[in-house]
Amino acid sequence: MAKIISIHSFRGGTGKSNIAANITTLLAAAGQRVAVIDTDIQSPGIHNLFNLEGEAITYALNDYLWGRCSIRQAATDVTARLETPVAGQIFLIPSSVKSGEIARILREGCDARVLTAGLRKAISELELDTLVIDTHPGLNEETMLSIAVSHALLIIMRPDRQDYEGTGVTVEVAGALNVPRMALLVNKVPTSFDPDEVRERVTQTFNCEVAAVLPHSDEMMLLASAGIFVQRYPDHPVTAALKQVVATLMV
Amino acid sequence: MQDNPNRDDLQALVGDLAAIASPLQAYLEELHSRYHPLRDGAVADYIPELAKANPDWFGICIVTVEGQVFKVGDYTQEFTIQSASKPFVYGRALEDHGRDFVLSKVGVEPSGDAFNSIVLDELSNRPYNPMVNAGAIATAGLIQGDNPADRMNRLLEMFRRYTGREIRLDVSVFVSERTTGDRNRAIAYLMRNFGMLAGNLEESLDLYFQQCSLLVNCHDLGVMAATLANNGINPITGERAVAAEYVQDMLSVMYTCGMYDFSGEWAYRVGLPAKSGVGGGIIAVAPNRLGIGVFSPLLDPRGNSVRGVQVCTEISQHFGLHVFHNNADDSRLRAALTGRM
Repeated sequence: MAKIISIHSFRGGTGKSNIAANITTLLAAAGQRVAVIDTDIQSPGIHNLFNLEGEAITYALNDYLWGRCSIRQAATDVTARLETPVAGQIFLIPSSVKSGEIARILREGCDARVLTAGLRKAISELELDTLVIDTHPGLNEETMLSIAVSHALLIIMRPDRQDYEGTGVTVEVAGALNVPRMALLVNKVPTSFDPDEVRERVTQTFNCEVAAVLPHSDEMMLLASAGIFVQRYPDHPVTAALKQVVATLMV
Repeated sequence: MQDNPNRDDLQALVGDLAAIASPLQAYLEELHSRYHPLRDGAVADYIPELAKANPDWFGICIVTVEGQVFKVGDYTQEFTIQSASKPFVYGRALEDHGRDFVLSKVGVEPSGDAFNSIVLDELSNRPYNPMVNAGAIATAGLIQGDNPADRMNRLLEMFRRYTGREIRLDVSVFVSERTTGDRNRAIAYLMRNFGMLAGNLEESLDLYFQQCSLLVNCHDLGVMAATLANNGINPITGERAVAAEYVQDMLSVMYTCGMYDFSGEWAYRVGLPAKSGVGGGIIAVAPNRLGIGVFSPLLDPRGNSVRGVQVCTEISQHFGLHVFHNNADDSRLRAALTGRM
């Protein structure tokens, strides 16, 4: 049976989309058929990581939600766009970056039933092994729905007070939604921090497994959103840590 | 229980989302897409208002006794409740007069005849049961109240408790039903001839035409059915809609007479107390588990919704809901309610 993994953070700028793209790539490198869907409809962006220009998107998730196309049509095979070939296959279901279409979603909202049906159809029609959901930061209906359908949830946070508080909210909601598997990833940790101490403190605070503590990485910042880190730096400690995250989530 | 609105709101939203993400929702969507192309049957056309129904309309709603709601398709589209109102009005009459008195006026014997047959029990002169028109008119005549408006308001208040919202009357359907209701009028006169219909005959007929002209949607039907499944308490609002002692009477007549002259085969195949209406609605009750509402205006020659009959049959068989099924094992239903996707 296909697995659904949601990648979430309560606040923006945590590196959520970047980690979602890297996890997707690692799964495809392991031979899986994976789709990553951008349900961050209000502030989409993950398509850039797969070198897909916003302008080049024919159909987006928005079009599916409005009944203009099937979910299959909204999915683009981005496998060939990777720097290094992978054994599996990656489909991207992007959100529209057209201001008018974002505005329409903001005005009309999105039908949770239609979105859920889309996730189900994506899994069956694309014959997926795993569906990765890149969620909108904070809590809105799409995000909570993504958590509700997921078998595993990865919550990204930075080691600062605002993220601590917000992450507490997400952990509480995920608990209420009975997510079978939940883990935290602490990202952009200043190099002056002791990662073991951070891990210990976060584990204690949220009573939740910490899948990885990733240091602030100049390489990742420089790469920004122009490519997939685990492909550019296959031997980097961050890549090893992300592989460990995938193993944690796929249990 | 601790009063914590923050927690209640979160739980309510979580409940909604868990239902949307459940395998039961996926099952209903699959069922809906499978039967949507079915174009058998015809919309009721004995009055122009019903003939205007769109044959494409199709909604399914399941509500559990825990208050979880699963719905697909045109579940907000309003239509007239028609005969699906009959068991509920029967329940009100039982509350007003008690079982013995109501039983002396309206029988509980399946007639095996069509819904509009002009036939009374020859020994007792009673209409056979409260689900055929004759019995429903006699039942409407039993509703207490100081005047016609008062009686109607008591029924509206009752339907508000069952649905959890204010229910309105479709005036043009009511006027059409009343204008073209000569057959029902003939039934009423026959009953009055035998002394079985006391009070003002036209007022009883009007109340009957009004109860049939109430506007509901498929979601309402699901909640109403779930209220009966939940022994008379609306599982969404927590409000009691009917005295617990009369729920079994209502379900009994639904089980034996609810689907007109298809009731026997329905009881055999589907095995759930149910009631259909020519507006296209069907309510079906799985006691202590859930209620089913289906809406699709294409009717078979007996006046039952074609898609509605198919959908109820499939749901009952798939989850083993037949009341005489070996009910010890409801693992399939539990898994569909609580699993993911």
